[in-house]
Amino acid sequence: MFFKLDSFALAGIDAIKVSVEVHISNGLPSFTIVGLPDKAVSESRQRVRAAIINSGFKFPMKRIIINLSPADIRKEGAFYDLPIALSILAVRGQISSKLFSECCFVGELSLDGKINPVKGIISMVERAVTTGKNFFIVPQKIAHQASLIKNINIVPGDNLNGIVKIFCNCGDLEKYVYKDTENKILSKDNYYDLDLKDVKGQMKAKRALEIAVSGMHNFMMIGPPGAGKTMLAQRAITIMPQLSISECIEVTKIYSLYKKYSGELIQKRPFRSPHHTISRVGLTGGGKPPKPGEISLSHRGVLFLDEFSHFPKNLVEDLRQPLENKKVVIARNNISYCFPCSFMLIVATNPCHCGYFGDEKKKCVCSLREVRKFWKNLSGPIVDRIDMRVKISRLKKCDFIKIGQGESSSEIKKRVKRCIEIQQRRFEGKKFKYNSEASPDVINSWIRDNKEIRNILSKISDNYNLTARGMASILKVARTIADLDEREAIRTQHVLEALQYRAGYDFGNLNCDQN
Amino acid sequence: MTYINEISKKILYLLSEYKIKPSALVDIFKKNNFNINKTLDFFNNNKICKLKLNLNFTESGKEETFGNYFKELLNFILKNNISVLNISDRKYPNILKQIYFPPPILFFKGEKITKTKFNIAVVGTRKCTSYGIGAAEYISRELSRIGITVVSGMALGIDSYAQRAALKESGGSIGVLGCGIDIVYPPENRHLYRDIIENGSLVSEFFPGTPPLKSNFPSRNRIISGLCSGVVVIEAARRSGAIITSEMALKQNREVFAVPGSIFNSKASGCHWLINSGAKLVEGIDDILEEFSWYFKEYSKDGGKEKTNTCIHKNNDMDRDDIGGSYRKVYEFIGFKPRSLEEIVKFTGFEVKEVLSILAYLELKKLIEEGGSNMYKKVF
Repeated sequence: MFFKLDSFALAGIDAIKVSVEVHISNGLPSFTIVGLPDKAVSESRQRVRAAIINSGFKFPMKRIIINLSPADIRKEGAFYDLPIALSILAVRGQISSKLFSECCFVGELSLDGKINPVKGIISMVERAVTTGKNFFIVPQKIAHQASLIKNINIVPGDNLNGIVKIFCNCGDLEKYVYKDTENKILSKDNYYDLDLKDVKGQMKAKRALEIAVSGMHNFMMIGPPGAGKTMLAQRAITIMPQLSISECIEVTKIYSLYKKYSGELIQKRPFRSPHHTISRVGLTGGGKPPKPGEISLSHRGVLFLDEFSHFPKNLVEDLRQPLENKKVVIARNNISYCFPCSFMLIVATNPCHCGYFGDEKKKCVCSLREVRKFWKNLSGPIVDRIDMRVKISRLKKCDFIKIGQGESSSEIKKRVKRCIEIQQRRFEGKKFKYNSEASPDVINSWIRDNKEIRNILSKISDNYNLTARGMASILKVARTIADLDEREAIRTQHVLEALQYRAGYDFGNLNCDQN
Repeated sequence: MTYINEISKKILYLLSEYKIKPSALVDIFKKNNFNINKTLDFFNNNKICKLKLNLNFTESGKEETFGNYFKELLNFILKNNISVLNISDRKYPNILKQIYFPPPILFFKGEKITKTKFNIAVVGTRKCTSYGIGAAEYISRELSRIGITVVSGMALGIDSYAQRAALKESGGSIGVLGCGIDIVYPPENRHLYRDIIENGSLVSEFFPGTPPLKSNFPSRNRIISGLCSGVVVIEAARRSGAIITSEMALKQNREVFAVPGSIFNSKASGCHWLINSGAKLVEGIDDILEEFSWYFKEYSKDGGKEKTNTCIHKNNDMDRDDIGGSYRKVYEFIGFKPRSLEEIVKFTGFEVKEVLSILAYLELKKLIEEGGSNMYKKVF
């Protein structure tokens, strides 16, 4: 006797369809699970047997073989308890339904037959939609998460008995479908405790941050300790527009693999600031089974590397590819895991070891050689990939006294949102969404018919020593500034302003105004 | 390419093999009326002298086989394109011969040293401010433009800024080293080492391979002032190499000029002390040229020509004319003291983004520059 139900396995943040096949034959009673099960899957035999008996059904005293197909992918976790139990009941005809072929099942059983939540439900439901299923039976507690995905009916189940009852009332599955409470979830106030208003002074840095966030440009701050670098970085997410539902889902999918995940839908943009002692796996992802690293955990949010100069060089170099591709691929024996990592990189560093190089008041105690060495240690290729670099200076006395002078985050957020909308309209149908991701041919199209810009660019390239990438990033930033200005074409003043955000120390011509 | 004559070789031989003190050599050389053979005879015949000199001046204590060291040195000089001038040479700068102890031998690269007619030294601190850099570049550029060669010590800071600026004009520059001519010190200046050979010279009295010892520098300073008719001091602390140079200059009967600095800048105190003790205060190159009216007739006071020091200000006025409206307002607010962005925004009442693009434009025009972080100031 044979019966089959559909379930899912997790591979990274993606799900793979898994068929739970059961075969019952005569012989000495046994219960075997094949198809590369891990410990948790193998142990589901005990849970399933107890749950079936405790729910008042009969456990068949036969040779039972469960196959999880495809057989060559390792199955991990306790997703299969519910489909295994149901298939055992169904194969003996204890329950029967035509609807089984239209459903997918996922759930962990406790010994009394209760269905416990599992992780990664969003990925699985999403996958189920693409495989053309109509119903997805999920544990009650996570039904609200599963219902975020459209085009599929979510049927919550509290215990095994309940599910069996649903299928016995055959033909009327619609009745049990989870009602949409999605709006309730998303209407929760998306409130941050922080506000850009709290940062005093720092006009240039604030303006730069607004531009950087609008175009998702990577951002570098150079300044003495206590100037407000961390404060500014933390407030970057407060001026980013609210996550859309699909973005929330993307982020939640990643976080659902993360240890500290609470089970809620994530609506705040993530802000991750790993310490510089972080391991390679911790930053880019990996482990067994592969988990997302900090770069993926900051997807759609901000990855802030404070004390950037202290990060080991190899770690920083690892960021290069994810920064370009917006995803990180972790290749394993027979499967490769792909985690998205479209984040905004913010780095902060002191200008030298003592931190006061170039400071107005406090003397820097480093020798020029030390300062130069300090800058040499920062990875050139990464710094070159950072579109916007701004020097942050310490506050002056008059800045302390002013309170609440600046704009609040919500005001800036409105402008940012408008700017992002303009970009999305422009890049409709293209692979990228933001100015910072624009491809060279798109950048060329901005300046092709713009003589004014070509003039100023040639003047700039005469005066500054810029790489091709440097030139492109000036243009990208200028484009964002023009978008903030709501201008169709880039104008001279936009390019000039973009030029302001390329701070650095030119050591061929070093200027040390510090006595 | 290498310029070295027989006399130079003999002097090198004496200095390297006999370890004769250069000053002793110069004395004997002068007494023998710059006849090298007589000088050689003197040292060869004077056994006691030779012994004494040997005892005194074998620094390394190494047992060198006779003649080998000299051969090595000669090979090295030829291989590295190092030229050698000796004091009896016609190409040896005349002005240097006048000092108390001229170096008997000069290693050099680049032809400038053999051709210059009129030199001015520009010296100062290694840790200079942007004001000092501006002054050094301005004075050197203007001097070089009228054909005066700027001599300096190839150090970081004022020295190298002055030399870089001078190299761009016709006058060129001479760098006097405190180490062997083959040693690049400080290493940051390696590009300057390469460039100066084109339109200038590198000069050293020390044998190739001599490390930049602290004790070498005062004696280098005497050559800097010795090569020049005047010494301009820009940003020097009270006790510094530049002050030593100016003292040497006084002993050598050269003019001393000082550029005033800020009273808050400890690195300007040396200049102020010099001015107090009678050095000429420099506001522009006319103040320098005035003292050499015997040489630069067109700049003499009696010529009735007005001082053109004001050209600094005039230049800026011209530039100001082609910037208008808001640019001018920002530019005029940024004075000699660096201004922060916040101050500019507050004063002008413009939006931050507007001010930023104006500042970028002015920077592009080289009218202002960023001094310190997020502080803007005028370029002079």
